Amino acid sequence: MRRTARLLTGTALVVAAAAPAAAGGTGSLEVYPSTVAPGAQVSVNTAACGDKGSATGDAGAVGAGTFTLAPSSHEGEAIGQFQVPPSAQPGTYEIVAACAVGDRQVKGDLVVALGAAHEQVQPRGSVKTGVGGALGPGPVQTTAGVAALAVAAAGGTWLLHRRARGDGI
Amino acid sequence: MRRSARRARLGDTAIAALTVVALGSGVWLLGDAGTDTPPQPAAAEGRPDPGEERLTAPALAPSPPTRIRIPAIRVNAPLMGLSLTPSGSLDVPPAREKNLAGWYESGTMPGETGTAIVAGHVDNTEGPAVFYDLGALRRGARIEVDRRDGGVAVFTVDAVEVYAARDFPDDKVYGAAHRPELRVITCGGGYSKATGYQGNVVVFAHLTGSR
Repeated sequence: MRRTARLLTGTALVVAAAAPAAAGGTGSLEVYPSTVAPGAQVSVNTAACGDKGSATGDAGAVGAGTFTLAPSSHEGEAIGQFQVPPSAQPGTYEIVAACAVGDRQVKGDLVVALGAAHEQVQPRGSVKTGVGGALGPGPVQTTAGVAALAVAAAGGTWLLHRRARGDGI
Repeated sequence: MRRSARRARLGDTAIAALTVVALGSGVWLLGDAGTDTPPQPAAAEGRPDPGEERLTAPALAPSPPTRIRIPAIRVNAPLMGLSLTPSGSLDVPPAREKNLAGWYESGTMPGETGTAIVAGHVDNTEGPAVFYDLGALRRGARIEVDRRDGGVAVFTVDAVEVYAARDFPDDKVYGAAHRPELRVITCGGGYSKATGYQGNVVVFAHLTGSR
């Protein structure tokens, strides 16, 4: 049973309609984790409000009200957190953030699922994290080896040359 | 006349000796004698020391990780999000980026309660990569994870193990935990030309602080 509960405010509709005109900026609203159980804490961030820009978040759709996104030390992104009410119903909810400066607004989806925290899909088996490239001689070693062989070749040539001239060994 | 001939002979001998030495070292440098394998954990690193078990710090609010630092083995690398391959194993970062690790995005974020998973390459076709020295890590070493919220989650290593791919203990490595834990995984075990690395080095750590 999945109920989709999308809440679009009047402003959001206006902004959505005007979005193509403002489509120069980058970024959306990233929601972590994107699937949660009721009562869980959620972290959202966006780069859309520019360097050191803050924003006001609205998680009213899922019943968590408004929250503040403050600029963080990570690339100047605005970051905020809210708690999903323990009574939240399963479904997909839209989380909105409006930049404090300008009229830019970004959105992200949050999925509430019963027992989501326990249903995380676990990876299986080993991880393919190597090809054996470190096992042969490295680039420095290869260069040194080639240089040494070049010296040997030069020495050998010189000795043969001397012998051919008859004034050598 | 005689003297200069002797000198020439001496020069020839020197050059002959140099040639032999250069030939020998060239062959040695390019041959198998110079091969190196990534460090593997000692058996003792697999046994948690009850006396050294450090207190677990309170779990942090969820915030995605951005960077991993392991000062003891000079690791300082950005983290990318990883998902699963169609077979259900953890995907890996692109091999050509030698200083890049990844974290399992659909799982636990480092610092949250649960088992957060980080993986990176031990090597690529060019040579050693981000987690080449992971097997040399010791119990009690510090692992720091920078987070998107500007904070740093600090983990302490509990154990370093190596597991064969054909008998991989999924639950032990990936299974849920009741405290904030971290796994750092790379390739290890034996290596054969036909099948590559035969397993993984896995570092077990838990949250002991934040800032």
